[in-house]
Amino acid sequence: MRRVTLMVAVMGSLGLVGCATSTDPREGGLLGGIQGMSTGAYDQRVQEREDRLEQLRQTQRELQTEREDLEARKARQSREVALERERLAALDRDVTGLSRQVEGLSARHGEDDARVKELQTRLDDLQGRMQSQQSALDALEGTGMGDTETDLRRRQLEEQRNALREEFDLLMELSLDLAR
Amino acid sequence: MRRVALALLVLGLIVPGPALTEAAAPLDEIRQLLRQHLYEAPPESVLAGLRAGHLNADLASVDPYARHFPDREAARLDRDAPTWTGIGADLQLESGQVWLQTYQGGPAKRAGLPDRARLLEIDGQSLTDWQADALMNALRGEAGSRVELTWQESAAGPKRRTVLTREPFRPLDVELVEPWDRGVVRVRDFLAGRTRPALMATWDFLDRVSPEASDADTPLVMDLRHAGGGDLHEALDLAGLFLPPGASLGGVMARGGEIRSFSAPEGAKLSMPLVLLVGPQTASAAEVFAGILQHHGRARLVGQPTFGKCSSQTDRRLSDGSVLRFTNREVLLPDGQSCSGRGLRPDVEVGDAVLSDLQRLMSLAMALEAGRGVQ
Repeated sequence: MRRVTLMVAVMGSLGLVGCATSTDPREGGLLGGIQGMSTGAYDQRVQEREDRLEQLRQTQRELQTEREDLEARKARQSREVALERERLAALDRDVTGLSRQVEGLSARHGEDDARVKELQTRLDDLQGRMQSQQSALDALEGTGMGDTETDLRRRQLEEQRNALREEFDLLMELSLDLAR
Repeated sequence: MRRVALALLVLGLIVPGPALTEAAAPLDEIRQLLRQHLYEAPPESVLAGLRAGHLNADLASVDPYARHFPDREAARLDRDAPTWTGIGADLQLESGQVWLQTYQGGPAKRAGLPDRARLLEIDGQSLTDWQADALMNALRGEAGSRVELTWQESAAGPKRRTVLTREPFRPLDVELVEPWDRGVVRVRDFLAGRTRPALMATWDFLDRVSPEASDADTPLVMDLRHAGGGDLHEALDLAGLFLPPGASLGGVMARGGEIRSFSAPEGAKLSMPLVLLVGPQTASAAEVFAGILQHHGRARLVGQPTFGKCSSQTDRRLSDGSVLRFTNREVLLPDGQSCSGRGLRPDVEVGDAVLSDLQRLMSLAMALEAGRGVQ
């Protein structure tokens, strides 16, 4: 009884100095809680806390899913980079074979043969670009680029490797023409 | 008025092997090469006066683009940057102000710096009266080291502080500028065998992540404002991608007037409208690319007159393993003229403030393509 009186007095004094009070459970605190017990807002507050807890759980689930997606994306990118590395290694082996072939042509036609010289120059250029492609692929895994940029970079490297393959095919044709 | 701008790379190139210092060079061999192949025949008195210790300075008097590299690797690295370490930005000095142009995916961009930011302080020190070298040294550093930058997006914008960690970084060969749905790509360098396929891959990528930006009627906007050149044949290949087979790509003229002409090949083509953003730093291969497409009415140019260098250089290996680079050809646009000394005049010319504002340039580009009669 005494306590209730004190409460009222406190409430009164609060009212006198013009402080706003509220039964909104989100504001919490002793005053709101006890006052709310008699207005039914306490249940509301408990319910809201449960709702918030559920929201937090939902956020946690979403974060977990996002993390799993991220890990899956990273794993996919690693696989794709590994695949690209294999394709580049295969092209590198082909270019090495072509290089030996051009050496043979050089011996057969003479080093001064203009066609052999052009082939050799273009082959040197191709090998230089292969090295550049290799270092770019290495850098793709070693730098802190964002996921999207990494994905774009990988696609650019694939297209560039395709262009190298086309150049290789062209040089191979030239080499075969010379060998006939 | 041509804006004076000095663009410097602050990524911090790691150059393995010997430093780029002037060393003894086979002077007679150099004289002979220049005598026979330099685009404009050099006076004998100048050739006789070449000095090993001051070779690059002396070469500049006969060819502003000539340069001697102590070894072959150095010449290659000069054109084909491998991996860089730094903050991932270009430094630009404009009318006493210092600006950073960030690279997509680089440390500065990922830390929240915009495409272009005015730099005010480095590690708390105001940049008043700093020289270019001092700025570069302050921004460069080892991987893992940190630097605090104070910057603002515009002169009136709030000052911001960002701590960056320098990282190994390799820029994209063709950048896709955010936000992607605008369909803006940026080319800073024409790299042999790399830029064309990179552009194709970027377009495919854009089609996947933002289909509306890659719609056939939506213009592709290519930002060449900071494209200083690169490989001539890559520029020709890239121009050929937008032109029908057989369309003239111009040619190259050797000393004596012999001309070798080029035309667009068969193969894959891109047909979307094209707008090129150009400025005084757009030079060499980038000018050739833009000039060809402007001549055919295939691209509209928005920005300011370009630098005016339509010449090509070649690298010749010398007997000691060093490399001499010199001008050996003048590049002709499809109208038979070179852009050297005059540059390209944009279809829509803008002032300095607009040139550095991608948003406003984009509005102009879109209005131009929509045929709304931009002034």
